[in-house]
Order: sequence, then C-alpha cells, then structure tokens
Amino acid sequence: MSGGASGRIEVRGLHKSYGSTRALAGLDLELRSGEVLGIAGPNGAGKSTLMRILAGEERADSGELRLDGAPWSPMATAGTVAVVHQEPQLFPNLSVADNLMVGREGSRLRRPRLGAADRALAQALGIAAYAGRPLSTCTLATQQRVEIARALARDARVFLFDEPNSALTDDESDELFRELHRLAEAGHIVILVTHRLGDLVEHTDRVAIVRDGRVTAILEGEALTEDGIARQLVLGGVQVHAEDMAGTPPIAALPGQPVLRARGWSHLDDAFDGIELAAAPGEIVALMGVEGSGARELLRSFAGLERCAGEIAVAGRTDLAGLDRSTAYVSATRQHSLYGHLSVGDNLLARLGRPEIAGLGLVLRRARMRERAEDAVRRFLIKARTIAQGIRSLSGGNQQKVAIAQAMMKRPILLLLEEPTRGVDIRSKGEIYRLLRGFADAGNAVIMFCTEVLEMFEAADRVFVVSDGRLSAPLLVKDHTRVEELATSVTRLERHGRQGR
Amino acid sequence: MSEMTDAPSSEAAAMPTTSRMSAAGRATFELGLRLGGLFIAIVIVGIIFYSLNPAFINADVIISLLRSMSSVAIMGLGLTLVIVGGEIDLSVGAMYGLAANAVAVMWILGDVPIYLAIPFALAIGALVGLFNGLLVTYARIPAFVVTLGSYNLLYGLSLYISNAGTFNPIYPPEGYKVDPVQLKFFQALTAQFGTHRMSIEVLWMIALALLVGFLLHRSLFGFRLMAIGGNPVAGQLARLPVRRYKITSFMLAGVLSAAAGVLDFSFIQTSQPDIGLSSTFPVFAAVIIGGASLAGGKGTVIGTLGGALLLAELQIGLALLTLGPHAQQLFLGFVTIGAVALDIALTKLRARTVA
Repeated sequence: MSGGASGRIEVRGLHKSYGSTRALAGLDLELRSGEVLGIAGPNGAGKSTLMRILAGEERADSGELRLDGAPWSPMATAGTVAVVHQEPQLFPNLSVADNLMVGREGSRLRRPRLGAADRALAQALGIAAYAGRPLSTCTLATQQRVEIARALARDARVFLFDEPNSALTDDESDELFRELHRLAEAGHIVILVTHRLGDLVEHTDRVAIVRDGRVTAILEGEALTEDGIARQLVLGGVQVHAEDMAGTPPIAALPGQPVLRARGWSHLDDAFDGIELAAAPGEIVALMGVEGSGARELLRSFAGLERCAGEIAVAGRTDLAGLDRSTAYVSATRQHSLYGHLSVGDNLLARLGRPEIAGLGLVLRRARMRERAEDAVRRFLIKARTIAQGIRSLSGGNQQKVAIAQAMMKRPILLLLEEPTRGVDIRSKGEIYRLLRGFADAGNAVIMFCTEVLEMFEAADRVFVVSDGRLSAPLLVKDHTRVEELATSVTRLERHGRQGR
Repeated sequence: MSEMTDAPSSEAAAMPTTSRMSAAGRATFELGLRLGGLFIAIVIVGIIFYSLNPAFINADVIISLLRSMSSVAIMGLGLTLVIVGGEIDLSVGAMYGLAANAVAVMWILGDVPIYLAIPFALAIGALVGLFNGLLVTYARIPAFVVTLGSYNLLYGLSLYISNAGTFNPIYPPEGYKVDPVQLKFFQALTAQFGTHRMSIEVLWMIALALLVGFLLHRSLFGFRLMAIGGNPVAGQLARLPVRRYKITSFMLAGVLSAAAGVLDFSFIQTSQPDIGLSSTFPVFAAVIIGGASLAGGKGTVIGTLGGALLLAELQIGLALLTLGPHAQQLFLGFVTIGAVALDIALTKLRARTVA
C-alpha cells in the first residue's frame, strides 16, 4: 500500500460538455491524502461527471489533473482510484475469495489462491469468514467490504464512496464509516458523496459544494453544519422546503370511511404479525423501521406484493380487483418504476390504459397523450425540455418525480411509496412533499415507508415505528415542533418495540 | 437495463421549455437517423450491384425482390413483436414449415377443403404461440430454451405428418385428387398480375405490415408491449398484464409464421418437411438489422421491412453475379454485424446531437 504524505490530487479548470449541456464549467478542487472530503450538490450539478472523470470512466474536455504534482490521467492509470458503490459492482456468481482475485490471477494455469497478504487483508476487513461463500449470498455491507478489499489489494490510493450507505442498516453503516476513517488514517485520499447531510457533517473534514459545474463553496470547521450545507445547496433556488411546508397545515384525519383499513394483517413469511392500521382521507402515514423490521414488507403488502393473511379493505372494498384499481405502489428502486428506454412522456403515461390514452379498438389517442403528458410535466413540476426527451436525461430528482407522477396519474385513492425521496436532492424533495400533500388534500391517503426522520417530519401526519414486525402507537407529527424531538420519540419507540418482544 | 443515475444533461433539463414545438420534428429526426442508415445501405448496395451488373435495376428484378422478401418479412413482423416484448422466438421458421406441411397433408391427403385447411394451419400457429408463451411466462423457462425445443418439436411434427414426403397440389400422389376449384383458389392467394408479374404475396406482406404496424405503434397493446419489453419488473409492479401481453406476442408470431408458410407454399407449390428451417436466421437478421434490440423494448415494423429488403437485395444481387452460395452467407454475416455496429454508432451520434 502506498500513499505518500505528499499525496494530493489537484483538479484545475475541468470542463466537460455533453452536446449542448455543460456538466462541468471550470471546476477546481484539491484532494489531500489523510482527509475525508465530502462532496454535495443538487442532482445534475456535475457531481457524477466529476466522479466519472476521477474514476477514469470518462475524459474531461479540458482542464488539468495532477497527482503528487505531476500531470495525471485517471484513464491511463486504472486501479489508482477505487469506487465503492451503493450497489457493489462485482461478480455476484463468484465466491468472496475469487472476487478478490479476479483480474490478478497471473499467467499460471493453476487455479489461483489467496496469498498471505490477501488473507490478512480479508481478516482486517472482517470478510475472511465468508471467503468461500458466493458473493450473491452476502449482505450488501459485506459486498462493499469486498469491494474495498479488492481495491486495497490493487494498491488503490483514492477511495471514492458514492452514496455508500443508502441501503445499509445503521450498524452496517457505522461499520462502513469506521472503515472509511481507517482508510484516511492510512494516508489514502477518501471522498464521500452522499445526500445525507448528517453523514457529511459527522464523517468528513471538508465538504465541497458543487453547483452548476463548479465548486461554489468549501465548508470546514465551524461552518460545517447540516444547516450550512443545506443553505449552500438551495442557495439561489427555491425556498427551503421546511418553510414551504409550513404554509399547509396537515388536515386532521377526516371523519368517515378510512381509505385503508387492515385488521389482523399478518405476513405469511413472518415479516410482521397482527397489524391493525387505518389511514383516513387526507392523511399521510409514515411507516418507519430499519431493514428487517418488517416495515418495508408491510408497505409492499398493501400493494398486494407479499403473501398475507387477515382483513384488508381499501375504501371499503376487499376484493383484489378493487385493491388493484384504487392503490398504486412506487418502489424505492427507480429502475422498478421507470422505463429507461422510453421518453419522459411515455413514462408518465405508462400506467394508463383505456379510456385515458386509448379509445375503441385500443387505438392510442396521440393528441390526448401529448396533452396529458405535457400537463403532467407542468403539474408535477418536472424539469424537462420536452416530453419526447429520454427519461435518463433527467436528473435523479426529476426522474423520481416522474415515477411518483406516473403512479398518481392512475388516480389511485391510496398511494404506497417506498422511500419516496431516496437519492433525491433537497430541492426536489421539497417539491415531492408538496405533491404528496396536494394529493392527500384531495381526499386521498398516502402511506410511505421511510428511513429518515427528517422525511417524516417534513411530509407525514402520523408516524408508526415498526420493530420486530409490530406497530408502535402512532406519533402525531404536529405534536413535535422540531425534527430532533420527533427523532427522540422515534428512537424511544423503536427501542421500546425491540425490548417488548 | 442499465442504471438510472442522475445523467449529466440535467442542466439542459432545467432549461425553459422553449423547444416544445419541435418535439414532433425531433422525433422524426431521430427516426430518420435510426432508419436512415438502413435505407442508405439499401440504396448503396443497389448502386454497387447495378454498377457490377446493370441488369440488377429493372422492374422485373425489383418486383421479384419484393416477392422474395415477403415471407421473411412476414415472419419478421411476428418476431419483432416477440423481441419488442423482451423475449425471443427461435421457432418461427419451423412453424412456417409445419403450416405448409399441415395444409399439404390435410388438403391433398386428408381431403379437407382448402378453405378449412388454411384457417386450421393458422390456428396451429396460434396454438404453438400459446404453448411457447405459457411455458415462458408461467413455467418461467427462458424463451431461448422453450423455442429451441419447439423448433425441434415442430420440425419433428412436420416430418411425421408428411411422412418425410414432398407435396405438390398440381401433381398429387397416386390415388389422390385435388379439386380444381380449390386449387385455383389456393394459387390465387399468391397469383401474379400486371405486366411485371407482381405476386399478390407482396400485397399480403404490405397488408400484414400495416396491421402489425398499427398494433405496435398505434395501439395500447404496442405501447405497453414496448414498455414491458424494456422493463418487465416495472410493468409488473404497475400491474400491467405482462404475461398476457407476452403470450399474445408469441401467438401473433405463430400465426404470422403460419401465414408466411401457407403463402409461400401457394407460390412455390411445393412443400417439403424441412422448408422454413433455413429461414430462421435470416428472419432474425432482418429484425436485428431493422433496429430491434434483443434487450427488448425497441423495434419498428418499418425497420424490419427494411432489414428483409436488404437481405433479399443481397440474395438476388449476389445470385445475379453468380459468385456461388458462399458469397451469400458471407455477406449475410457481414451485414448483420455491420448493421448493428452502424446502429450503435448512430445511437451515439444521436445522443451527442440530441442530448
């Protein structure tokens, strides 16, 4: 492992354009070994482009990269920069040990085996015990550690963590950050890209704010706070969503028939048991729980995606066809909602059928489709040039708006959302919450599975904590004036729930 | 499907929507870029053959070119639907053969009137498609495996029912008779007319292309098939009838292949147990050259027709040059790879100009 004390990367005047779009417009940045540098910015600000250039996946149009003072081309020196992905990019069919070896087998015909150094490395990272297991059977956290080990075995000097903990449990993510700090202490250059402001404050030495293809601010020391980052991120943009939401007081649960009522609702594979839950018209309900608590499965079960027993009624109807028509589900994974090969317009209309977009004989009504899609782009605040542009050319936040709009356009009365703003920039978050509120205000209900307290605080009326497959007593968000109070209540309920079993 | 990350061009996405007017224009431009390469290739190949042998460009050759592309095109229409739906059907050629043999056996040996034998053969096509579709969607066996199996099954059936024999309705086997009125009807299906002796089979091809074109590009079925084909998981979570749509695409492929078999039998007048098998790969080549993606969610009727036309052009052009059968195979190989390489290059170009 190398990593000289003098090690640093200088980025000067980086430019990169895609057609008429400027992704990077003269970006300057300095990366120092031994420190953790955070990078934050709204989606589409140029973050991903910068990452791709550093990782050697793309070439800049102009600008200069220097490593230890010498001109440096990441493309020519593969292995210098290692990326630890949100979803590890490894060989799931091979064993953990084989994953460490692939690409370094040498020329011998004999099947390669782990050397002593590799074994020590695996030991240090706590993956030695899994050496013989197929990678696909390991948890995401283990897979990420394999990715780190693989990079260390190749003498990588720069570690780029790209939203690494968005799918990890709290414990796993603590473990990952410990590893990240160890890497920095060992003299590596460590970069953390994440939307989680708390992680940036807690785990980085400096945070570079990337906006409009440039580094617009660097926060460190006293200035490095969640508020400080948030302010930088929305600078010059729309108002912070917290203020925005304050204008629309949540409607108290309306009397009358609930939109959803579940009684004795139990998962056949034991993710949850004996759930009693009702959601009133106008209400946004959040289900909070860590991975494995049953919260995610509970949400999916309302969409008919899990095998369950018990009683369930949506707007009084209990039959499957009724459920199908009156609920719409949006997965946390955007690839599960959007059609990457289709246009923005077609994605918006994908759940519709007759009579919305097709007439007799199932003939598509082209004019009406265009009208509806254009109307949706306006109504759902989607930033797109035309409805004909490919969905993938939108930023992550706008893609997520399309995913949710697609579900809303089906006119369900119950919207089921899994982590509705995962990986979404702060501005889009606010807009998505506003859309959900509007939807609920029209007499519908939203149930969402969340992992972030801030999200519940901003968007929900009632919060249930799920632990060990059981629901807590509800928390009313309006009883909490600050997000910290809600976080305390949630933590208390969660601890209580775990001990209660 | 590749990842959906925040793409670099989102600043452009944030631009005011000034160019909304040109959305249709841009779509046309994209289609032009996509199909442009194919039709330029057709013209260039034509010019090359013409310069080598001026006999290549005359009305008779062009008319016969249209005839000879028609059965590949009709099978290709069905295969396009299946491929757009994200699946694959290796049994189209074998289905073509089974339909021709079934008509021959039922009509010539079995004394079933041709008016019934043809609908019956088409129904077999639908049934085979249903069989393929059910195994793929409900038994979850990969379509490659299922249709490779049915390719062999159907060929086996053709051998069995025909007893490995060849049939020609004009010269029925000893002791069998074919009703002349029925023979006339059968021949009329692909009769040639006009000064250049154009076969009606070409008109069938055009009519079926219009029908499938409507289905794929103008109907809710096509809209959803396109979506499902590119991302079946999203389709399922949005509660679109993914299985039903895929099964329907297999059934249409079966019926269209059967139709191609019947029409070619009517034109060639001879059925053999193994006819159609050798057109399996040309049909795939036509669809792929036409821009359909084996990953699903992408494909056009006009592209498939263009692909079939290009193949027929090569076939006839090379035959006129009398270079020998190896030349055709070599060219088929080059053109298939070349067309896809060209499509990838054009897609890149498009990404650069339209992004």
